[in-house]
Amino acid sequence: MRHLKRVVTHQTALEKEYDVVVVGSGISGSIIANELSQKGYKILILEAGPGKDLTLSGYEKYLNNFYTATSKDNNAPYKRNPNASMPRSVDVKKKKPGKPNADSYLVQNGPFISDFTYSRVVGGTTMHFESKLPRMLPEDFNVLSTYGHGLDWPINYEDLMPYYRKAEFEMGVSGNVSSQTFSKQKAYADDYVFPMKEMPPSYLDKCVAKDLDGAEIKLAGKTYSLKIRTFPQGRNGIPNENYKKFNNGELFKPVGAVSEHQAEEGERCQGNNNCTPICPVQAKYDGRKTLAKALGTGNVDILPQTVASRVVIDSATGKVDQIVYKSYQELDSDEHTTSTVKAKLFVLAANAVENARLMLASGLNSTSDQMGRNLMDHPYILTWALLPKIAGTTRGTICTSGISDLRNGDFRSKQAAFAVDIHNDGWGWATGGAETNLLNIVDNQNKFGKDLRNELVHQISKQLLLANMVEMMPDPKNRITVDHKYVDRLRNPRPIVTMEIPEYTMEGIAFARQLSKFVFQRLGAEDYSKYDPMDYGYVKYKDEDYAIRGGNHLAGTHIMGTNADDSVVDRNQKSWDHKNLYLVGAGSMPTIGTSNTTLTLAALCFMSVEAMLKDLEA
Amino acid sequence: MDMNNEQLDEFLEMSTVLTAFSAYKLKGTGQLEAYFNTVVEIVGKATMDELLNAYRKVKKAANNDETVLNKQLRFQILSNDKLGPITRNIIKMWFIGSWYQLPNAWRENYGEAEKDSTFVISTNAYIEGLLWPTIDSHPPGAKAPGYGTWASKPQISEL
Ligand SMILES: Cc1cc2nc3c(=O)[nH]c(=O)nc-3n(C[C@H](O)[C@H](O)[C@H](O)COP(=O)(O)OP(=O)(O)OC[C@H]3O[C@@H](n4cnc5c(N)ncnc54)[C@H](O)[C@@H]3O)c2cc1C
Ligand code: SF4
Repeated sequence: MRHLKRVVTHQTALEKEYDVVVVGSGISGSIIANELSQKGYKILILEAGPGKDLTLSGYEKYLNNFYTATSKDNNAPYKRNPNASMPRSVDVKKKKPGKPNADSYLVQNGPFISDFTYSRVVGGTTMHFESKLPRMLPEDFNVLSTYGHGLDWPINYEDLMPYYRKAEFEMGVSGNVSSQTFSKQKAYADDYVFPMKEMPPSYLDKCVAKDLDGAEIKLAGKTYSLKIRTFPQGRNGIPNENYKKFNNGELFKPVGAVSEHQAEEGERCQGNNNCTPICPVQAKYDGRKTLAKALGTGNVDILPQTVASRVVIDSATGKVDQIVYKSYQELDSDEHTTSTVKAKLFVLAANAVENARLMLASGLNSTSDQMGRNLMDHPYILTWALLPKIAGTTRGTICTSGISDLRNGDFRSKQAAFAVDIHNDGWGWATGGAETNLLNIVDNQNKFGKDLRNELVHQISKQLLLANMVEMMPDPKNRITVDHKYVDRLRNPRPIVTMEIPEYTMEGIAFARQLSKFVFQRLGAEDYSKYDPMDYGYVKYKDEDYAIRGGNHLAGTHIMGTNADDSVVDRNQKSWDHKNLYLVGAGSMPTIGTSNTTLTLAALCFMSVEAMLKDLEA
Repeated sequence: MDMNNEQLDEFLEMSTVLTAFSAYKLKGTGQLEAYFNTVVEIVGKATMDELLNAYRKVKKAANNDETVLNKQLRFQILSNDKLGPITRNIIKMWFIGSWYQLPNAWRENYGEAEKDSTFVISTNAYIEGLLWPTIDSHPPGAKAPGYGTWASKPQISEL
């Protein structure tokens, strides 16, 4: 019960003196808490969501909620919690003209309506993330000077390299460095390997590769050769012998299930095909694995069901004086107490949307007025087809391979780069999964017995879904704001999202759609992609229809830069305005390229820890 | 629940025709009683009797001829406005472990049962759905086949 003991009462927390208060127990907050506590600093974590998943039985309850939920959306394992709500894709509706969509947690101002989500539970959004963990490319850090779009970072890829390694160790990355060589610049040291070997590509990947590898396409006057490559992933596989030299001569030890007892689970990915929303055996990395280590130091306390609601600044020093929080006992009651905490250092790790929401709700929009602005995500355009032969769809992790060759190139001066995932789980994201096929075959195609079974094989085992993840650049108009008209049950202001897909991104989306047509034609696959004007994510661009999905890679709401006038935080994610405040996570990223954001935000957190240690020592 | 063994056997036999899975395989899911009971709880015992009587007639008319059996099943049961929707729900339960709310027309004509909403019968029913073995796969989140198994060709053959 080691972990549970660190869940303290408010009385205990009030009586203790902490060096650092961390808001949020996701991967960002957990890395910070773990690293600082290993050095002996006393940390208190405020966590808005419930904390029962610190135990194996609590985790299994989530799993059971998932099994018996009729709608298996990304947040299906978690009970609705009006005291610390989270966005759910099932709540998203098409926008009506003239007023924002305000009847679920996220107030959506449009014009683009996104179905992005995140989780507010112990462990944060990594509880249900897919755990695809590519690095950003060296070029991504200088897109403005190289391609004339977006922003340059105040740091280079080289600055972040050692921290990428730390992040790959922390999250236990399985992958093959040689499948990551599409940057013009050298991105990995010659002998570097990931901690674990590459996840084997699925049979579906191989069916696609057989007819696609070597295909050439032209883009902005250049020819690109396509190749199906695996993605690095944060899930347990087979440790790589050659990693020993990066791990003091030892083989990497995969981290198992988080539990108060010795647990058999979490050793190796078993191909449950359920990484989002919940991995049943904890083979997938999630933030609790880092959190458990932090709590294990004995220096970290956590207050779950405690929502940070205001950051209070000392007007004399400009420093953060305290954080006001509201803590509740029950998910189904609004009864709560309000209190405050003080510390030497404050770290907001509540994710890009919630960090900005909290700062704005505190009236702190920063000297640069960039707080909440430059909101980015990776818009996805899905394309789906039926292959001519059985490809074994629905087996494996959600995604093992895809096309990465168009993640960089001179075309980025004209249009967005993109990465393509082959979805081992088939059409689910676009059409609702195997259940939808079953219902249609039984209710409309009037099949039973053998015909039904053959039809299921035909309609499901040949599915190919390509998820095209497209780059989106920062734009100050895309933003999170708050308005005291819109509050949640504890009267905390809810985030208001204003987002438009920039033309640069739309060009990338349009090209990605064309690429899918080319791929399907080459594979002899029947294209079933269809974009309904009634879809909430519907966009018409140059006379073509698209239905765009949110990528859940929210970023940019407190970007880092070179001075207080152009950004919210410095290269160490420290607030320019408040010298004892760090805002960490993807919110600090000035651009996101075509990389799922978590590995990079983890690397940034490791880098920030060094600056925090200096502050604490001073 | 008062469960008549003979009826349970008939329900099982009809299920083998509806799903093309053997009685052995269906029983192996451990869900036979749960599905039978779900139907009885929602549409009532009398309607279950009616369905099984209809099936008995179908079987008699078919006299072991599969083509006739399938045709009679469509004539007597699947196209019947009362029995059809229930039977399709039985198929769905076997394949995915959920009961789906009966169509509005059915509810208007034959009454709305309190329990007639869309729900997952149980954790085990979800896990034992026959859809997954049909496509040589497994329910998302359960019965994982093991590391790396996804790399090999699936064992699926047309029936
Ligand atoms: C479906 C899905 C799939 C994804 N797949 C991938 C992927 O494959 N690869 C990848 O790199 N990324 C992926 N992501 C994104 C990834 O999950 C996030 O980048 C990552 O979890 C962010 O970590 P974080 O710690 O910064 O924030 P979070 O994980 O969101 O954690 C924030 C924590 O702060 C808490 N909190 C929030 N507000 C308050 C408050 N006011 N007071 C106290 N606590 C608060 C929350 O409860 C939460 O615990 C995916 C996301 C989703 C939704
Ligand atoms: S495929 Fe399965 S076992 Fe592997 S990480 Fe995903 S959910 Fe876990």
